[in-house]
Amino acid sequence: MKDRFGGNQRRARFQALCQSLRPDLLRFAFWLSRDRALAEDVVQETMLRAWKAQDSLLDEAAAKPWFLTIIRREFARTFERKRLPAVDIDELIRSEEPILAAAEESDLAEMRAAIFKLPDEYREPLVLQVLMGYSTAEIARELGLSGPAVLTRLFRARRQLRALCGEDTAQDPAE
Amino acid sequence: MMDHEAYRRALLADPSSDDAELRRHREACPECRAYAESLLRFESRLERALKLNFAAPAARLRPGRLALAASVLLALLAGAVWLAAPRASLAAAVVAHVVHEPQSWVPQTPVADPKLAAVLRDAHMHLNGEAGAVSYAASCEFRGHIVPHLVVQTAEGPVTVMVLVHETAAQEVQFDEHGYRGIIVPVAGHGSIALLMRSSDARMNDVEEVAARVREAIAWSN
Repeated sequence: MKDRFGGNQRRARFQALCQSLRPDLLRFAFWLSRDRALAEDVVQETMLRAWKAQDSLLDEAAAKPWFLTIIRREFARTFERKRLPAVDIDELIRSEEPILAAAEESDLAEMRAAIFKLPDEYREPLVLQVLMGYSTAEIARELGLSGPAVLTRLFRARRQLRALCGEDTAQDPAE
Repeated sequence: MMDHEAYRRALLADPSSDDAELRRHREACPECRAYAESLLRFESRLERALKLNFAAPAARLRPGRLALAASVLLALLAGAVWLAAPRASLAAAVVAHVVHEPQSWVPQTPVADPKLAAVLRDAHMHLNGEAGAVSYAASCEFRGHIVPHLVVQTAEGPVTVMVLVHETAAQEVQFDEHGYRGIIVPVAGHGSIALLMRSSDARMNDVEEVAARVREAIAWSN
């Protein structure tokens, strides 16, 4: 997105880019933090940082991973700034009930509560793969892991999730 | 030869994997085929569960976040925040959506029927096979609504189809921008449908022909 355009055009393109990506960025931030208010804060801050650093985005098609990397760094900064207290998962689920409830399908609310219960190291690669469409190699690069380590985490994530959702896991492979 | 356990382990790690060895095992093993179908249904539910709808504003403001709020206010004053932007044209929004899902063009193999059915269910529609094989199907957030986003493999090349039941179009609109040629066609009582192809794959005439074929292949259930 180097400045082939005038200032106004450049700003309008950046705004359109943010507008189109914001829903997915907010979802990613929410599943990372399990806290809507914190997710919205982090996405806002991410947009500001992205605006300041937009010259480093050379290919608009790569905008989504670029923003996701900024979000992950922003979360890391948040956790550095203040050590967040240990979380009570059931309390988290209760506090985010309005957004987790799915008017369209009741079993989605159950699935969302189960996703909340996954450990961070399993939830994050799962969200990157299913929600963001990342390949195993892309997840490995983003999280600084090897490909086999990512696959192991994804395997454990689904295995645990299926058990939490009451799926028939009799045919699932053992650890 | 891969065994059941290795197959299921690989599938749990990546249910949409197109690995040839996995495909061969699935074709040869009815038990694992049934397992894969069941897992795809689970996967479709997982995908919908992750796609939360954030239409309503957050109910609470986090205490101690005033510095962030101030920086957001600053950005608003500078005019750098998307909220103040005029609503982009429908065609521009469709192109922007497709540009940011480059992975949608990659798969070549047909999407499993349960997954496709789950994606189409919210739009109350079915797609018969005459349109071509559907190689990508996802329920996507688009301008505040969840809409089906498909890629259909046609003789002219892959075509993205977005079913926009919440977007009415007064007339047919053609567009050619950012490497995509497309068309938005109004559908009486069902909003509109956007179709686009990569400019390198198609001329506008191709897009029009494919659009007509896809429209004929859609059956509405309401």
